[in-house]
Amino acid sequence: MILDHLRHHRRVSLLAAGVLGGAERDETLAHVEGCARCRTELGELRAVVAAMEADPLREAEPPVPLAFLVGRVEREVERTLVPAARPRWWLVALPAAAAVLAVAVLVPSLVARLRPAPEAARAAIPPSEASSLLTEDALARIERNLAREHAARYLSEAGEVLVSVAATGVDCDRADERLDVGRAPERSRELLERRALVQAGGEAVASARGVLDDVEMALREVADLPSCVKRGDVDRLRQEVESRQLLMRIRLMTRELEG
Amino acid sequence: MGGSAGTWSNEAIQMEPSGGGGDRELMARLAAGDREALAPLMERHYRRLYRIALSYLRQPDDALDVVQEAFVKAFQSASRWDGSAEAGPWLARITVNLSIDRWRRNRRRAQTFTPLAENDRVQALADLSPAPDRRVQGREAGERVAAALRTLPERQRAVVVLRHYQDMSLEEIAGALGMSLGTVKSSLHRALGRLRLSLAGGRP
Repeated sequence: MILDHLRHHRRVSLLAAGVLGGAERDETLAHVEGCARCRTELGELRAVVAAMEADPLREAEPPVPLAFLVGRVEREVERTLVPAARPRWWLVALPAAAAVLAVAVLVPSLVARLRPAPEAARAAIPPSEASSLLTEDALARIERNLAREHAARYLSEAGEVLVSVAATGVDCDRADERLDVGRAPERSRELLERRALVQAGGEAVASARGVLDDVEMALREVADLPSCVKRGDVDRLRQEVESRQLLMRIRLMTRELEG
Repeated sequence: MGGSAGTWSNEAIQMEPSGGGGDRELMARLAAGDREALAPLMERHYRRLYRIALSYLRQPDDALDVVQEAFVKAFQSASRWDGSAEAGPWLARITVNLSIDRWRRNRRRAQTFTPLAENDRVQALADLSPAPDRRVQGREAGERVAAALRTLPERQRAVVVLRHYQDMSLEEIAGALGMSLGTVKSSLHRALGRLRLSLAGGRP
């Protein structure tokens, strides 16, 4: 009887787990019929299994849209594709030491030989060329790129803030169904203060205006939140972000601005 | 019960989006360095991987990070993928391993399970049964189960998550975790025994 019980002991767990089949299942069920201890154990194990199968996490949806996650993965892949190669120290140190030695020996004599007379040096760069080393076009291009980079960074940070609110699952007041949104309101206020600087990009960021306006509205809502927010408010904000497809638009616009 | 649920492969077929190509084709493209294959592969698998990571870690942010890391790793390791194997279990294995790594990192911050008082034993098991207010009951039971799951050794917890949160068969679990069938069975047996004792207030 004891040996029989021990033989079936493991099978009772597997029976409760729903993975026992065929003859093993029939034998174990027959044993359980006549074994009060196994019946109790099976009942308790089934309660454990039922509790796991009733766990709402089984059906949980990812808190961000697929497009946003794809963007994160693509950026990470991009980043890992260009790893900063870490050269061995001696591969760098030996040529560097040789170069320092060469400079110390050769440069003084070269300088003495090549140094022009003061008048000749002044004449080397005509005044007209000196003032136009950077053309206006080049300057405008640089300014445009800077404005677009700034706008891209702004949108990317705003996206992170919105995701942190939409994805929060941390209770701060369980009884009142409130969720912790951490520093998101504070970060939203900081971003809103930077909005004017992005706008100053003018034509360079004209194509981003629609997204920037929608982002601003969403950030204003987050900025007004306390750090411990009613679940309903978080759900409303999440729905709004989803209905405007804001995260996907942020991602696409950030890509466009980054060129 | 688990028997009625589809297997991994069946679900992968159901999840197939329009025009995305099959798993094998997508993996082959990934192995060739085609980054465009990432999005359709993610579309097929990200929900399931998210649920595996979430069931293991119980933290949405951590689970999302793990899914992201899993797909980056899949891209990096695609050239080493055995073309005859299913991509689903392979991705599950990456996700479980990353979840275990993340769990180890978070361990210091993790809550420790406080066993229930001995006289709560009967009530504790009764509380796990279905009740009229299923939503509240489900959430409370979920929290109790989460605390009990935290007491399990890492691999045992992985077996339980794949079996009872993903409805995977023992063979699929063995494939995904690189374990023998016998080890999966004994892990499941030990894990359920521990969970039963934890939830009933005994010492695991």
